[in-house]
Amino acid sequence: MLLATREILRSKVRFGLLAGAVGLLVFLILFQQALFGGLVTSFIGAVDNQDSPVLVYNAQARRNVEASFLLPDQVSAIAEVDGVAASVPIGESTYTVEAGGELVDGVLFGYPLDDPSGLGAPTTLVEGRLPERPGEAVASAADAEDGFDIGDVVRIAADGGPEIEVVGLGEDLRWSVAPTLFVDYSTFEEAQRAVNPQARVVLPSLVAVRPAEGIDPGALTARIDGAVGGVESLTNDDAVSSSPGVQAVNQSFQVILALAFGVVTLVVAFFFLILTVQKAKPLTLLRAVGAPTGYLVRNLVVQVVAVMALGIAIGLGLVFAVRPFSTGGAIELDLEPATVIPTLVALTVLSLLGGAGAIRRVVRIDPLRATVDTSSELA
Amino acid sequence: MRIALRELVRRPGRFLVVGGALTVLVLLLLFLGGLLDGLYLNSTGAVRALDADGVVYSDDARQSFLRSEITADERADIEAVDGVEAVGGLGFALLGVQIPGVDEIADGAVVGYELATGSLPEPPAPGGAHADRQLADEGAEIGHEVLVGPAEVPLRIVGFVDDTNYLQQGGLWVEPGTWRQVLAENRPDAILAEGSFQSAVVRIAPDADAEAVRAAIDAATGSTETLSQAEAIEAIPGITEQNATFTAVIGVTVFVAALVIALFFALLTLERLGLYAVLKAVGGRSSTLVAGVIAQSVLVALGAFVLGGLLTLGLLEIVPDGIPLQLEPSRAVSTLVSLTVAAVAGALVSLRRIVRIDPASAIGAGA
Repeated sequence: MLLATREILRSKVRFGLLAGAVGLLVFLILFQQALFGGLVTSFIGAVDNQDSPVLVYNAQARRNVEASFLLPDQVSAIAEVDGVAASVPIGESTYTVEAGGELVDGVLFGYPLDDPSGLGAPTTLVEGRLPERPGEAVASAADAEDGFDIGDVVRIAADGGPEIEVVGLGEDLRWSVAPTLFVDYSTFEEAQRAVNPQARVVLPSLVAVRPAEGIDPGALTARIDGAVGGVESLTNDDAVSSSPGVQAVNQSFQVILALAFGVVTLVVAFFFLILTVQKAKPLTLLRAVGAPTGYLVRNLVVQVVAVMALGIAIGLGLVFAVRPFSTGGAIELDLEPATVIPTLVALTVLSLLGGAGAIRRVVRIDPLRATVDTSSELA
Repeated sequence: MRIALRELVRRPGRFLVVGGALTVLVLLLLFLGGLLDGLYLNSTGAVRALDADGVVYSDDARQSFLRSEITADERADIEAVDGVEAVGGLGFALLGVQIPGVDEIADGAVVGYELATGSLPEPPAPGGAHADRQLADEGAEIGHEVLVGPAEVPLRIVGFVDDTNYLQQGGLWVEPGTWRQVLAENRPDAILAEGSFQSAVVRIAPDADAEAVRAAIDAATGSTETLSQAEAIEAIPGITEQNATFTAVIGVTVFVAALVIALFFALLTLERLGLYAVLKAVGGRSSTLVAGVIAQSVLVALGAFVLGGLLTLGLLEIVPDGIPLQLEPSRAVSTLVSLTVAAVAGALVSLRRIVRIDPASAIGAGA
């Protein structure tokens, strides 16, 4: 093994450059994943982290909460469907709100506080408490510093717009990258009437449903869609993953990531291939004096792993260096061990696969060539 | 220089390494750029099509069309401002569109408007709509009656217009009364008063100072915020964030490309130290050698660009419809320029090493 590490130590620049390149690529991949995670959480965190096993949309809304509203007879019909243990209306809308002395975009999620089912409540409370009466709210913790901290009062900017006091903070509760407040349904109605004085009615955007004991949420969605006209039910997971925008972003990022993985594999593959071709002569000599092929291959593998380890360290370091700048911005970098670790493992495996070309060359070395002048064919 | 070019021609295999990596990076760059352009153009088409010198919002709408309301009184105030040539109402409704014979509901933006523009004809008769070409791609045809929103309001397509989408939704441009009806029937919770629009498009006399007129409008109404068309585009939700994010990722990718080039040619130079020493000993100048490396790097980059471009065109054929990929010639040019710069910068990394080569080492003197 000494040979591999000694070579690295003797040509630090060469291996350093490669590790640097791999490091940047690892950074690129992790950065994009983090960005994607942050983007998705900022877009749909409010629905993801809301107690709503099944969500019912207007079928015409194309799974877009902002475009969905349900009529009173649809709401009551959903409650009657066999297998529905509880159902509540959820109101969602974006407003101009006054927070911290400034006008900003703010989203309200209204759910009935007086319903014993607890449906519609945020599930990621980290500080304070859930709202207990109209005019109280849980806000997204990421916006606490911008006038959405506990004790702050947020006003819907319209004549007669309700004032809402923040009484709790929850993790990852943003909606459409805007500060989000979970309030009583009546507060949502009040806000809607204030901004749309012409409106004849206030309609809920969605209905949240809890399946009865032993009923599979997925099966229940089909039952609701069959029993109630003009609605589309989704499990919470489906509502999150098929939310408009998220799906397009998801597919785009996957293509980008696949390309980035390809680049890492190629760079590592070509580097070691060049290196092996360059070293063909000494390697042949080593074989001729009795070094087993396995030994040479092991050397190569150790070098690949060493370069990847250093590259990953550099990439991780860069991500952590950049991370502090993202907090407070529109989108927060989201580093989850559950995505980072498989990514790093996959990268290492891919780079070893990339090293296969070099390994093949090592395996094919004919020790006999050491006895002839090979300089002409190695140039 | 000639040697460098000959080497490229005679031993292309040697440059496969860097060429392959760069090709994938070009693919990545064009894909990212195409995605950014697709997202940008499809989100902003409706606003770019307005030919507006000013776009007026309520001052508490935070520059959102959907939350803005310009009343008939405010409109009269705007029209009375000196320098204002024409005022047209504008309103949006984002709704599903059922196209006859198509199962899937298409995304639509019903836009009520009053002023014709370079790309938009005069508003059609009540019940008619000028549809964006995107809806034609999804199966709509002239004469089709599409049904809009949960209330299934019928709109007859009278013609197609280009590049008029709003937030990725296919534009359906209708006269104000039709828009008001679509909104009232589909969003009973978001009805505007008679004569109200969400926003107003302002045309300013050519000899007037547009900036001053916009300020005068806000002063006259006391309750509006008037933006230039460029500002209104920036104000579309997500546009600024999108541009910043993609530009950052594209920047890092170009940097990686430069690094890959630098790495490769540094390695190649290391290999050739002896050869370069001989060349220098027989009178070759450092500048010639460096120029050769730069020429090789730029040519390899160009080759990678062509190959990567072709691959991107191939990729364009197979990406799912959900990805709003759009390849613009300007994007190809900017990618080519940044790649060339990266190629030159990467090759220059070997400059120091080449300059420091001692010709005497060719005959065994020195290192």
